[in-house]
Amino acid sequence: MQLGSTQIDDTYAEAFRMRYARLIVTAHDEHWLNAAADSTTGYATSVINCDAEAGVEAFIERDATPDGRPGAALMFFAFSNDALAKSVSNRVGQCIMTCPSTAVYNGMPGADEMIPLGKHVRFFGDGFQKSKQIGGIRYWRIPVMDGEFLVEESVGVAKGIAGGNFILQAVTREAALDAARASSAAIANIPGVITPFPGGVVRSGSKVGSRYKKLKASTNDEFCPGLRGRVETRLHPEANAAIEVVLDGVSEDAITAGMRAGIHAAAATAGVIAISAGNYGGTLGKFHFHLHELLSS
Amino acid sequence: MPLTLELTNSPGVPLEVEGLTPRAAAEFSSQDLRKFPVQHGNRKAALGDFFSISGSVNDLELRFVGDLSGVHWIGAGMDEGRVFVEENAGRHVGSEMTGGQIEVRGDVGDWLGGEMHGGEILVHKNAGHLVGAAYRGSRCGMTGGTIIVRGAAGNEIGQAMRRGTIAIGGRSGDMPGFNMLAGSIYLLGECGIRPGGSMKRGTIAYLGSHAPELLPTFRRAGTDRPDFLQLVFRDLAARGLAIDDELANARFTLYHGDLVELGRGEILVRET
Repeated sequence: MQLGSTQIDDTYAEAFRMRYARLIVTAHDEHWLNAAADSTTGYATSVINCDAEAGVEAFIERDATPDGRPGAALMFFAFSNDALAKSVSNRVGQCIMTCPSTAVYNGMPGADEMIPLGKHVRFFGDGFQKSKQIGGIRYWRIPVMDGEFLVEESVGVAKGIAGGNFILQAVTREAALDAARASSAAIANIPGVITPFPGGVVRSGSKVGSRYKKLKASTNDEFCPGLRGRVETRLHPEANAAIEVVLDGVSEDAITAGMRAGIHAAAATAGVIAISAGNYGGTLGKFHFHLHELLSS
Repeated sequence: MPLTLELTNSPGVPLEVEGLTPRAAAEFSSQDLRKFPVQHGNRKAALGDFFSISGSVNDLELRFVGDLSGVHWIGAGMDEGRVFVEENAGRHVGSEMTGGQIEVRGDVGDWLGGEMHGGEILVHKNAGHLVGAAYRGSRCGMTGGTIIVRGAAGNEIGQAMRRGTIAIGGRSGDMPGFNMLAGSIYLLGECGIRPGGSMKRGTIAYLGSHAPELLPTFRRAGTDRPDFLQLVFRDLAARGLAIDDELANARFTLYHGDLVELGRGEILVRET
């Protein structure tokens, strides 16, 4: 299959079930909002070695946030509700409560399952914290040095999918970087999807396992141009750089929409010779996103 | 069509309709409902002696028609459904209710939502004294739910309340939040004296341009624009209270008290 001058490999991305939470973070202005969002979603690229995968789903205008200030929807993915509860509480406590002027709200009010947030974080108030029920929702007001930190008592969680991906291959590293940025920007407009890696992409794509027993993952040698000739390669013969775009989303539809937008953006970039995807023969996860299917539908 | 009860015989002495909730009414045929026992002064009477009854209560809605200023305990103890009063209502409207909604288009008497535990009450005009308060001898007043009065209200609003929300759009009387245990009282109009006397916890917020003189047992903390109030403004507006757009940018001075009690209560006074 061709998308313009880009070859689309007949393969699929293999993704797996995760749990996710969505927080709405607000702040006095965009500066402090970005500071909180960047910090909170930092070191949250892959559950291979992070407590969660996280990213900014969308920025929200003032008139659409609970308190009329600029906001952002942050999404966090982990393997279980317990893991999410621990990760989200820790991150909010260390990265949002510490950031001046911020407040945190539940981004999934209708969720069937909830995990504690303010219920844990409140103890920082050392007995001076106050709860306030507004519109049937309990909030905690924690005294801090710029006033109060307002945080909702609990936040919703739901089943999501992690590991949606595609691998763009370009004739030069420069072209690959341009395509990566275009893909990332296109996916940023898709609701229900985050790209947790730096800039939305990962250059150290991995395979499951390693020759070293302690490692759960290791470099995806089939897509390393420098190993061409030493290992069996899945790179296009003219490709000299590959970058993987990894997506986590709320549903198969969201991942599909994100992959479709990202692939189209990458294929429209000069120098992108082929697009493939990462899978592990069906051993990693039950969600398979076939590139030809999602681009044809 | 809701079950409509039109007052046809105005009671000369207080008429008490305690127990006439939407759920209770649904258990009667319209014929039997006319025999529903009510208290007229010091004698027992039947609902049909004072009201004409029409419609169905299948949707758990009661609609009262006529000036019911002398009819008390409307919606008291209700746990679901809706009660609508087209004109005025008497005392104890929604007393001890646990759920459902009450809307009164006119004035109501004292003890509106007295010791209520849940649900919502909206009064379009004025309320008497002791909104959401504890009955004499009780340890606490309302423990949940929301009371919105668009007009004025009398003294001791939220007296000994433990949880829940009260908002008064017009003038409020003396000693709001007296003996308050917790919960929230939002006052938008002119205010009476001695707010929060002996309050232990909870919030009294003066959202209007009138600042009360506080008791000397309250201590100033600072001036800020608390984030939680933004949520409160939106919630109150959604519940039918007129909220000035300027409130979104208003600053409030926080006072802690009452220091003769725990001192964990707070009074927020809008800076003008």
